[in-house]
Amino acid sequence: MSEEPSLHSRRGLTLKFDLPVSKTREFWDSLRNKKLVTTKCTKCGNVCFPPQSDCPKCMGGEFEWVDLGRDATLVTYTHVTVRPPSFADTAPYIIAIGELSSGVKVLAWLEGVRREEAKPGMKLRMEARSSMEGNPYYVFVRA
Amino acid sequence: MSIGELAFESIKQAVDDARVERKDIGNVVIGNMGGWSQESLPAVIVDEYAGLSGAETMRVEAACASGSAALKSAYSSILGGEADLAMAVGVEKMTEVDTSTAVELIGRAGSYFWEFENFGMTFPAYYALHAVAHMNRFGTTEEDLARVAVKAHRYGAMNPLAQFQKEITLERALGSQVVAWPLKLYDACPLTDGSAAVVLASEDLAAKLTDTPVWIRGIGSSSDSANLSRRKSYVGLEATVRAAKSAYSKAKLGPEDIDVATAHDCFTIAELMAYEDLGFCKKGEGARMIREGQTELGGRIPVNLDGGLKAKGHPIGATGVSMVVEITKQLRGEAGRHQAPIRKGVGLAHNVGGTGHYAYVTILARD
Repeated sequence: MSEEPSLHSRRGLTLKFDLPVSKTREFWDSLRNKKLVTTKCTKCGNVCFPPQSDCPKCMGGEFEWVDLGRDATLVTYTHVTVRPPSFADTAPYIIAIGELSSGVKVLAWLEGVRREEAKPGMKLRMEARSSMEGNPYYVFVRA
Repeated sequence: MSIGELAFESIKQAVDDARVERKDIGNVVIGNMGGWSQESLPAVIVDEYAGLSGAETMRVEAACASGSAALKSAYSSILGGEADLAMAVGVEKMTEVDTSTAVELIGRAGSYFWEFENFGMTFPAYYALHAVAHMNRFGTTEEDLARVAVKAHRYGAMNPLAQFQKEITLERALGSQVVAWPLKLYDACPLTDGSAAVVLASEDLAAKLTDTPVWIRGIGSSSDSANLSRRKSYVGLEATVRAAKSAYSKAKLGPEDIDVATAHDCFTIAELMAYEDLGFCKKGEGARMIREGQTELGGRIPVNLDGGLKAKGHPIGATGVSMVVEITKQLRGEAGRHQAPIRKGVGLAHNVGGTGHYAYVTILARD
């Protein structure tokens, strides 16, 4: 906060967003069943991650859900110690970018590995997880 | 100080320096990201406070490159013949919220749903992903990163307008708190309140207003994916490469013509990648440039002699305009203690928004 003289506003504002998933619901439903899928354009074959129902390559609107694959290679990572306040109750975490064998890349936490053990090129596997609130998400673990 | 008061300080300096009447300014573009400050419509708040109401105006957003976006927009209105006189103002008030709220808000500046909601990205984390990739591929070290911070503070100490005007040692930078490994507190720019303003005139009008104009020779701009997972590599910013190529092409100049530059050093790794992406050296040689002092005052191509974002401060929306103010001062020989030798009369300002989500490269030259 500013150190200069100021009045403290009486008007607070808390924002919590609804996260629309109607067009990518299959991804989250599959994740609840521990399956990892993503979208593939039926017209040009482009595979997207994050999944999207409209193809950014050919603008085609028809797609199928395909297996994302689980085996990945660590491309890069960081160990986040200064967390955002909404992650204050979470222990410091490693955020990684992994490249799947299909060439698609994914950003997610890397769990079960100490920072000193992480090394670009190491083999990883993707796994499904569920938050305390019951929201599905995904992580990398050591293969 | 309110956002209007803060912007007024620079607007007054710019109007006085250009010796123009405010009523003749047809277009006022405000670069501001907002979210951490109280006003939702900063353009009209600033214009009203500075007596500019009535001009065409808008706020533009390109994250940390909002100031350059404002400059580009004002510049385009002159190129297109819509205005003879325009103004680009960058302003940001980041301290109306507490630091942790600012950390939260900046961390969301990417792809919120896929990067923040579940994984808590932070702004340092975005650049740390690049630092690890660069270190792994090219052997860049944590010491190399710290050298960039030491350089920034050295020149910040020569700039009476800098947020940090004290020199630091390599040991102090290396020993500072880790925020997102390998980046530490001293690898990061601070949260800053600030503003900057420039007056732009058409070629004909500029000739009447001044004998020492500084010309915009070209502005190159590009962008990249919101999700970092969709980037090709993490050892550079493709948006900068494309923006630089476009700017050099428009200006019919190359990196060898640049006397002095500002590079977007929101984090130390960003400055090293910028050396490479702007063509000041080959890919992977950024660390060598800082080790050899090539970007120091007196070096081959001095970079961030105003202290950079790291020491001068990084008021998000103001930064791009502030860079152009600095290069203008350098080309006019008015930069004081941190004045670079000007040989060809050409300077470059490089401004990135987000983590290479947006990039602007502006090439300026005197007659």
